[in-house]
Amino acid sequence: MLKKIILGLLLWVSMTDLKAQNFTVSGTIRDAKTGEELIGASIVVQELAGIGITCNEYGFYSLTLKSGSYTLKTSFIGYQPTSHKIVLDKNLKLDINLSNGTELQEVVVAARKQDENVTKAQMGVEKLDVAEIAKIPVLFGEKDVLKTLQLLPGVKSAGEGSSGFYVRGGSADQNLILLDEAPVYNASHLLGFFSTFNSDAIKDVTLIKGNSPAQYGGRLSSVLDVKMNEGNDKAYQVKGGIGVISSRASVEGPIQKEKSSFLITARRTYADVFLKLSDKFKDNRLYFYDFNAKANYRIDDKNRVFVSGYFGRDNLGLGNNFGIDWGNKTGTLRWNSILNPKLFSNTSVIYSDYNFNIKVNAGGTGFTINSQIQDWNLKQEFQYFPNTENSWRFGFNSIHHTLTPSRFKTDSAGGQPQISRYALENAIYANNTYSINANLNLDYGLRLSSYSILGGDTYNLYQNGVKSDSVVLAKGNWGKTYINIEPRLSMSYKLTGYSSIKIGYSRNTQNLHLLSNSTSTSPTDQWIGNSYNIKPEISDQIGLGYFRNFADNAFEFSVETYYKSMQNQVDYKNGADINAATDVESELLFGKGRAYGLELYLKKKTGRFTGWLSYTLSRTERQINGISNGNWYAAKQDRTHDISIVGMYQLSPNWSLSANWVYYTGSAVTFPSGKYSINGKTIYYYTERNGYRMPAYHRLDLGATYEKKRFGRYQSSWNFGVYNAYARENAYTITFEDNPNDPTRTQAVQTALFKLVPSVTYNFKF
Amino acid sequence: MKNILFSIFFLTLLSSCQKVIDIDLNLTASQVVIEGEINDQTGIHTVKVSKTVNFSDANNYPAVQGATVMISDNAGRSETLTETSAGIYKTRNLLGIAGRKYTLIVNIAGKIYTAVSTMPVLVPLQGIRLIPNPRPGQDTIARFVAIPNYIDPPTFGNCYRFVQTLNGKEDKNFIVFNDNVNNGFPNQRPAFSRDLEIKRNDTLTVEMRNIDKPVYDYFYSLNQSAGNGPGGGSTPANPVNNIDGGALGYFSAYSASKKTVIVQ
Repeated sequence: MLKKIILGLLLWVSMTDLKAQNFTVSGTIRDAKTGEELIGASIVVQELAGIGITCNEYGFYSLTLKSGSYTLKTSFIGYQPTSHKIVLDKNLKLDINLSNGTELQEVVVAARKQDENVTKAQMGVEKLDVAEIAKIPVLFGEKDVLKTLQLLPGVKSAGEGSSGFYVRGGSADQNLILLDEAPVYNASHLLGFFSTFNSDAIKDVTLIKGNSPAQYGGRLSSVLDVKMNEGNDKAYQVKGGIGVISSRASVEGPIQKEKSSFLITARRTYADVFLKLSDKFKDNRLYFYDFNAKANYRIDDKNRVFVSGYFGRDNLGLGNNFGIDWGNKTGTLRWNSILNPKLFSNTSVIYSDYNFNIKVNAGGTGFTINSQIQDWNLKQEFQYFPNTENSWRFGFNSIHHTLTPSRFKTDSAGGQPQISRYALENAIYANNTYSINANLNLDYGLRLSSYSILGGDTYNLYQNGVKSDSVVLAKGNWGKTYINIEPRLSMSYKLTGYSSIKIGYSRNTQNLHLLSNSTSTSPTDQWIGNSYNIKPEISDQIGLGYFRNFADNAFEFSVETYYKSMQNQVDYKNGADINAATDVESELLFGKGRAYGLELYLKKKTGRFTGWLSYTLSRTERQINGISNGNWYAAKQDRTHDISIVGMYQLSPNWSLSANWVYYTGSAVTFPSGKYSINGKTIYYYTERNGYRMPAYHRLDLGATYEKKRFGRYQSSWNFGVYNAYARENAYTITFEDNPNDPTRTQAVQTALFKLVPSVTYNFKF
Repeated sequence: MKNILFSIFFLTLLSSCQKVIDIDLNLTASQVVIEGEINDQTGIHTVKVSKTVNFSDANNYPAVQGATVMISDNAGRSETLTETSAGIYKTRNLLGIAGRKYTLIVNIAGKIYTAVSTMPVLVPLQGIRLIPNPRPGQDTIARFVAIPNYIDPPTFGNCYRFVQTLNGKEDKNFIVFNDNVNNGFPNQRPAFSRDLEIKRNDTLTVEMRNIDKPVYDYFYSLNQSAGNGPGGGSTPANPVNNIDGGALGYFSAYSASKKTVIVQ
């Protein structure tokens, strides 16, 4: 079936070629010095007003024009633009190399890219500039993609110092986090204080807040697409940083010059090394490490293969008594092929794995709890560029999941058997980006997704937590299949040269669910797939936005609103047994959710002073029968106001300064409304879920970067930071307890994690 | 679990700061709280009826006086309890017999609360094993934790509650086990209690109570939601209980055995 469609399309491709005297110029846009492909660099045709394109995520572009002479102007933020004169009387291949703009130089960029935020149909998209991330002050001085994302409108931090995030009212597991196309199931280290992304290895970060094109799917709220660097294919380069509690290093270089290259990065925290020095804590373990590795090889002009991988592990423990370790492994094998000047193909085989192990040892008796999710993923995508108005993406994605549920086990036999469950998740999609005229742009697509339960286990059905039936699925048999059709549409209409309105609708579905009983995510939360009780989560989001640029695109301004409804949301029932339940599905409740909000964003992109201001006004609610008497209640990620202000100032060629300030309404929490006594112990009485608010959170961070004078190839910089500069005691938890001084009274105790945290990091490159 | 993780992290890496704060908590209508127990040990069984108070009030929980409290079993025996002191209702001669199903009825001015609990067959406690339980980052005094020795029956669904008394002082934490793990095998799980510091020469008594599943669920969920805020644990909620009619608390029929050791 799929083959026929592809063949049909290919035929159509060749037919359209014959119709007119059109020719195609195509090629790859790269960094002149390192050979890295530049994602999203743009080309405009000087002679044809309004005609231009952006290259894809592999640096490939294809432009089909009537025969003639043209001037192609290529530009990319931070690079010096180039201009190429071409005579298009046959299909041309033109690879373009761009040179990095030197520091402080005002880089003049062609108009197309500059006002892309206004002209492109897609909405709710945030792109992070990796160079900018390095300057924004963060906790412990470890620059971090995920923490910088939290400063954008519609994105909320999961908590103090946390790399977890919520997008437009979605929970943390509703973000699809991709590292070189491989899903990362837990993107945090050390309980969220670090993310799994080593920013030295990262080339491009894109966040799509719900209105994603059809090539993405599988999560309700957002797609965070992180792409790793390929590795310098011209010269060897070493980079690194030494920080207060962690260090990192990377090596990259050519294997064969301009044909193949590699990149290896590593990180390790060493807070535990200091612990060893202290007698009190010498038996404690507390560290993580991670590696990224990547290599690529250009087979010929048209074919290229990549292999990339990530491995990370966290380890926490107390002597021999208690230990927990968890981590992700991902691997991607990818083949890019330029089938013809208008047709680009990408084939990937992807492996992802996340697991955790808890070990408790008491006087020779051991207990373990563990869980795992493992994926094999095959993806095929074609990108087709028939003409300057249109581009297509179509393909399929097939994932085989192995989900091993969390089990409590002892050294002796007698625990519940731990039987893995298997599932197959499939999707086919097509997406078209179409410029109807100079003012109207359309981006629409359709994704057909399915999730099939595969045999090998017994599935119980529950009604109100009581087993009502069960389905025994033998290995090799197919169980229930859930099928969903997900339409995606976004449209932009240019009002003036500098402003546009956009509307969008999208449906997303999610077949994997993270079960979390705690108020923030924990590495021991387990992933579970659809079953006979658990149905795919579905969200429908509509968005409306107004975009305007000022002062020759130096300022970008946008207002976006959204409304999202969510079905089949999963939560634990009150008092659920999460570790030792015979079947965790008996402990679940299902319901729905809704989220709506307004996002304002003003960004200054050029000049010595850059930065942005973002404000989000939002509401997020859940309704689950069995919680709060079935009434709608504020979800934990509901925060009415969320403000971020980020400023960066280039003081001199050596010094740059930065500051950011955040403010948000406290999270919705459940506090007691009364108390009573059981067996002489004070017990609290609760009236409603999340009926209270934590105190408002606000914090100022300051940073300064000093670039030392270059010494031959050796470049270095010092990065200084102060987290929470005015030492605000932000409430991390509020607990209720008997007053230790007066047992006839109870009291509320607020714990703040950090007051002022200074940091210093030394970065080098040669 | 998350609590342990966080304690390790913050104990070792950071010095967090705590302070007592004022929070404006809602006032709420007073709720009825029933604590009822019947066991195979004594002839006198107690049901305590009290009420909730607002968080800001002192910990004086008003007794509910003048209620009619009755316990009956499925063998046709029943007794109306006598209020011996304010809010404390006691039986005189009703025997608790393992295997029987007991029904509690509390009538407070016409409002009726009922609860049912089955007294499980006794699984005897055979002894107490003490194993070292060092606390990192503290002094080097030897500390212990008790492993109750008993053999879980092969049938699935046994639940236990352990009440530990150290040097005459009863530990107030609710320690409950079930046999989801280790069904049919000798127990290996220690009865950890946050407040218990067992040292050499202490006298420790462990009472093992065989409880039914609804009572296990009550104490388990009570522990799960024991007043932790964000980052600290599960979202707090009232425990799931076995009383119909809207009262807080529980009614537990249990069979029990106990052992005492002097820590060497």
